[in-house]
Amino acid sequence: MGSALRVDSSTIVPLRTEAAPEVTKRVAIVDGALACIAAKGLRATTVDDVARASGMSRATLYRTIPGGRDAIIQATAETEVARFFSALAVAMGAATTLEAALVSGITTSARWISDSAALTTLLEVEPWVIMRHISFGQMDRALTLAVDFSGPFFGRWLEPEQAARAADWAVRIVTSYLVSPSEAIDLTDVDQVRQLVRQFVLPGVEALQERGSA
Amino acid sequence: MSQVVDTREQITAAGYACIARFGPTRTSVEDVAQAAGVSRATMYRYFPGGRSELIDAVVTWEYRRFFLALYEALRGAETLEEVMERGLMVAHRAIEDHEVLQMILTTEPEILEPALSAEGQPTRELVAEFLTPYLERHDLRPGVEVAAAADFLARMVLSYMGSPGRWDLDDPTQVAQLVEVELLSGIVPAAAAGR
Repeated sequence: MGSALRVDSSTIVPLRTEAAPEVTKRVAIVDGALACIAAKGLRATTVDDVARASGMSRATLYRTIPGGRDAIIQATAETEVARFFSALAVAMGAATTLEAALVSGITTSARWISDSAALTTLLEVEPWVIMRHISFGQMDRALTLAVDFSGPFFGRWLEPEQAARAADWAVRIVTSYLVSPSEAIDLTDVDQVRQLVRQFVLPGVEALQERGSA
Repeated sequence: MSQVVDTREQITAAGYACIARFGPTRTSVEDVAQAAGVSRATMYRYFPGGRSELIDAVVTWEYRRFFLALYEALRGAETLEEVMERGLMVAHRAIEDHEVLQMILTTEPEILEPALSAEGQPTRELVAEFLTPYLERHDLRPGVEVAAAADFLARMVLSYMGSPGRWDLDDPTQVAQLVEVELLSGIVPAAAAGR
């Protein structure tokens, strides 16, 4: 910190003084709800539990997220999905090769999933809450979402259609090992995933590229 | 022993018929007992957990029947490419045309959960086992282990057949591209891909 960076504190104007506390409250509620879900699952989590866990009154809670329990769960799911995608964006954005983008996309997803206490509990006690989003037609929707998100990252090396296919493929790998873990492969392990991607995924993507350019 | 199996099977089959007719929500233990021609007491002897145990048994029973039929349909396939392509197409069509499954997916998909969770891993192992001889007979790229390739392909087949995503699995050209260009490129040598 050089002297050039010194700022006279009297000139600092606080920003968004009214909005900030609402945002903070919302985050506290979401984190409270996540703690409750981690402790006892989704079905058993009540609005009172969330209020207690987030350290605020029911009234404040209803004022911050109107709509009751369903709205709180919805906000929690949306926030978690947004957090997940931003972690993924940071990891995949740092990749400098297609292989690294695939590997970091898969390992970051797997780590994020295994580090989430709420997801771990859900998969154990109420797996259907998660599984219904990745089964049959619902999975197609999840794929579309994931492909729309990760396609542009792969688009640095691939044509849009190929990028979408590579993204689709990576999502299937993550969901398959999520639903049905393997004893042979740990998707949170970079070396193991790199081996999987090199052996089974990259040759397919490369073959697709050759076809596309032929 | 076979009497026990038969009665249980008879009740399960009747349960399936009732769900197909009335839907899972409106199927009662009484309906199933009547359709199977057994008393309520007999019914509870075989399914002490009542309605939910019965429904789980029906879903599991039909799930296994589905894979058995798929297995039968693929028995004549000769090459790895053929078995994967036919498998994806037949399985996808069977899922789309399965009226009871489609009805459950739109009304009460959560009743599938116990069977999907319990059967998921055995099914994957079964599909991998089914693919193993095809892999063993095929030229493989250097360094490819049959067991790892079979597990990976089984995962992908199971993923695509229920949720094809961007692919039209009724189109043989697209299915051939999915299997031969994407899924098998890392597994079989380039010269062998495309047969």
